Amino acid sequence: MDATVPVKRQSFLTWFRTMWGSRPLFSTFIALLVMIVLQTLALGFNYPSFGAWLGAWLQNWINILRNNAGIGIISLGMTFVIISGGIELAVGSTLVAVGAVIMMLIDTGPMGILQNMGITGVPAYAIAILLALVLGTLLGEFTGLLITRGNLPPFIATLGTMKIFRSVTQHFMQGYSPVVPRGFLSIASFNIAGQLLMPIIYWIILAVVLHIVFTRTTFGRQVIAVGSNERATRLSGVNVNTIKRRVYALTGLLVSIAAVVQVARIGAMDYANAGSGYEMDAISAVIVGGTSMAGGRGTIMGTVLGTLIIAVMNNLLNLMGVPPFLREAFKGVIVIGAVLLQRKEKTS
Amino acid sequence: MNVEMRAICKAFGANVVLKNVDFSLRGGEICALLGENGAGKSTLMNILGGVLPADQGQILIDGKPVVFQNPAESLGAGIAFIHQELNLINDLPVYENMFIGRELKQRNGLLDSRRMIQETQAVFDRLGVTLDPKAMVRDLDASYKQIVEISRAMMMNASILIMDEPTSSLTGPEIARVFEMMRALKDQGVGIVFISHKLKEVMEICDRYTILRDGCMVAEGKVSDVATDDLARMMVGHDIRTTALQRKRDTRREILRVEKLTDHHNYFDVSFSVHAGEVLGITGLLGDGRSELFLSIFGAGTDYTGQVYFEGRPVRMRSTTQALEMGIGYLPRNRKENAILKDMNILENGSIVTWPRIARFGFINRLLQEKQFSAQVKGLRIKLERPTDPIINLSGGNQQKVVLAKWLSSNPKLLILDNPTQGVDVGAKEEIYDIILDLADEGVAIVVLSSEAQEVIRVCDRALVMYHGVIQGEVSGEAMTEHNIMRLATGASLS
Repeated sequence: MDATVPVKRQSFLTWFRTMWGSRPLFSTFIALLVMIVLQTLALGFNYPSFGAWLGAWLQNWINILRNNAGIGIISLGMTFVIISGGIELAVGSTLVAVGAVIMMLIDTGPMGILQNMGITGVPAYAIAILLALVLGTLLGEFTGLLITRGNLPPFIATLGTMKIFRSVTQHFMQGYSPVVPRGFLSIASFNIAGQLLMPIIYWIILAVVLHIVFTRTTFGRQVIAVGSNERATRLSGVNVNTIKRRVYALTGLLVSIAAVVQVARIGAMDYANAGSGYEMDAISAVIVGGTSMAGGRGTIMGTVLGTLIIAVMNNLLNLMGVPPFLREAFKGVIVIGAVLLQRKEKTS
Repeated sequence: MNVEMRAICKAFGANVVLKNVDFSLRGGEICALLGENGAGKSTLMNILGGVLPADQGQILIDGKPVVFQNPAESLGAGIAFIHQELNLINDLPVYENMFIGRELKQRNGLLDSRRMIQETQAVFDRLGVTLDPKAMVRDLDASYKQIVEISRAMMMNASILIMDEPTSSLTGPEIARVFEMMRALKDQGVGIVFISHKLKEVMEICDRYTILRDGCMVAEGKVSDVATDDLARMMVGHDIRTTALQRKRDTRREILRVEKLTDHHNYFDVSFSVHAGEVLGITGLLGDGRSELFLSIFGAGTDYTGQVYFEGRPVRMRSTTQALEMGIGYLPRNRKENAILKDMNILENGSIVTWPRIARFGFINRLLQEKQFSAQVKGLRIKLERPTDPIINLSGGNQQKVVLAKWLSSNPKLLILDNPTQGVDVGAKEEIYDIILDLADEGVAIVVLSSEAQEVIRVCDRALVMYHGVIQGEVSGEAMTEHNIMRLATGASLS
């Protein structure tokens, strides 16, 4: 046994090096570990007991996860879009539009649509959520149609829809502040062991489901094929337009889920600012997670790690007392650094 | 200038690519470097061109040993490498391409176009090239692009030229133009290494040959001492057939009939039919519209007027999916752009067509996928280590077989093969021909699109020759000769 120890240590180094070079996910994971160590150090150990420290550490983590569940869910959809070779800039605007529709439906004020139809409580919530999901999917489908039938570059098409969705929402919601009933809030704030865990649970479930969709289903593999070589995919008898439309529809669906969670968590929405910058945050998470902007390469797992890296870094900066205006700069550094790192792996 | 490479060895990991290879080239001669894909030709030339370092061995220039760290050093020593994919920028004029990276500037820092044009013209004059230095590269045909690249090497005083499959994308007259230039360079004392799979061209243009097989030099000598068959045999290591097979087939059942198909742009008033068990050739020069015609039939091309019948029923493919479901397979030309999914593995590249068929509730049945693919691997004799390796690890011939495998596993009734042996070496070519003939024997209707007359004669029962988008004539049996095909392809008629 004694003789094997030094051999094992050496082989660990070589193992580490080959893993680092050959598995993009591995380096992303190591980056996250480093972040977590730094964050743990920044949190400090100045607690009366180990239990108190652990409690604080866990509480901090639950806060991080809950605050990032929305963007995490949206990033999952963005992963599909980017791997298919596209881009979706309208996720924030779609979030606002869908959020506004939910709130109009469940409003308990004088203008609440479902209330005026005599539907309240759980049935109203169910209808509102269902309609929200359908609306998000349709908005995504609309974007997909612009890109496939209209033959528009995804950047242009979604730049357009980004402006349209938000501006129309803002116009119609002027001077109207719906009242979100308390019951609806329990979608996000249902207590488990005294903690608000629901958004985190939604995020985890969706990540697992989409990981399976991505790796195991015809649709998931065809998305990679489209991003890898669209022409070759079409000439392999795959209906590329259908795949692309489904990718944007799926993203719309995920955004609408994020909208439900957000409305339920906050109970209100600022139509001018809610979700703004989400497109860039989601793209950053996807890129940091190792997905190629050129399409064809990437993973759902990577995006989850990417979202966490950025989230933990934000938390770290917060704990270290870095002024808020400077934090965005760190985000930029991390995105550029991640891509440089991935590039180096490829050439070496 | 004389170049000698002595006892060159090179390995990538455990994979030994070159074993003690000797190679020599004198000024004023054209030497063919032959071998199947994966024989080590490109690696050997990449070592000479400074792209790769040799593990062992020596390079001597005029008797003095040299070491090249990078392509620039090799070029500095007078060795220029013309790669298969040309290094020209389409959106710049010829003269700017000639000076790319070392542009001539005026004293104020702006480009000195006048002097660059003059010097380009001077090089063209010296080489006997008639080409306007101000022409846009985009507007040049493939042979002139080749010529611009060669001229650029000559302007940098190259005295050794390595040409990697320069003719693979050229038509007959274009090849003649490039050959003319190669002969002129040879007369001026330039030594040329000519890498090609087209043995007829080797016989026509080369003085000497060197043949590599599995990383070893197996033969060299004078081209005038050997025949095409000898070269082919030495490359493959065993005899190969070059004559057509005579087959008797039951071809009564009509699979595809096309009536008066016109897209008013690429093809006009095309009518023909293909029967089960038949191999129909469609040939002509590059740009004759045959690829566009069959892309339209497959549902991935331009809109057309006219009518297509599949198994007697009128059809119009709105998408490739529809064509696939109906039983049509299509192996496109230009494998890299049209068929290879570079980010996916061999297994996925070889099964993408049948995913919907082997999926249950949208989930790909992996067992079935692997079973189906390994049957194809066996049948097509695809050489691979693991099915989960990246597709780009395979040689050209094996990549082509993987593309073929995905279509074969869909059990097509009609298989359209556009340039099926493009970039495939002699041995694999024969195997692909055998596969085509076997499929026809099983009753599949096969259409082979090819500009190589020899290939058409080799596998097809009859052939339609296209010229500027129109079917110029049909040849079959005794009349199916290179001479007749060439006459039709250039717009003449047979009688």
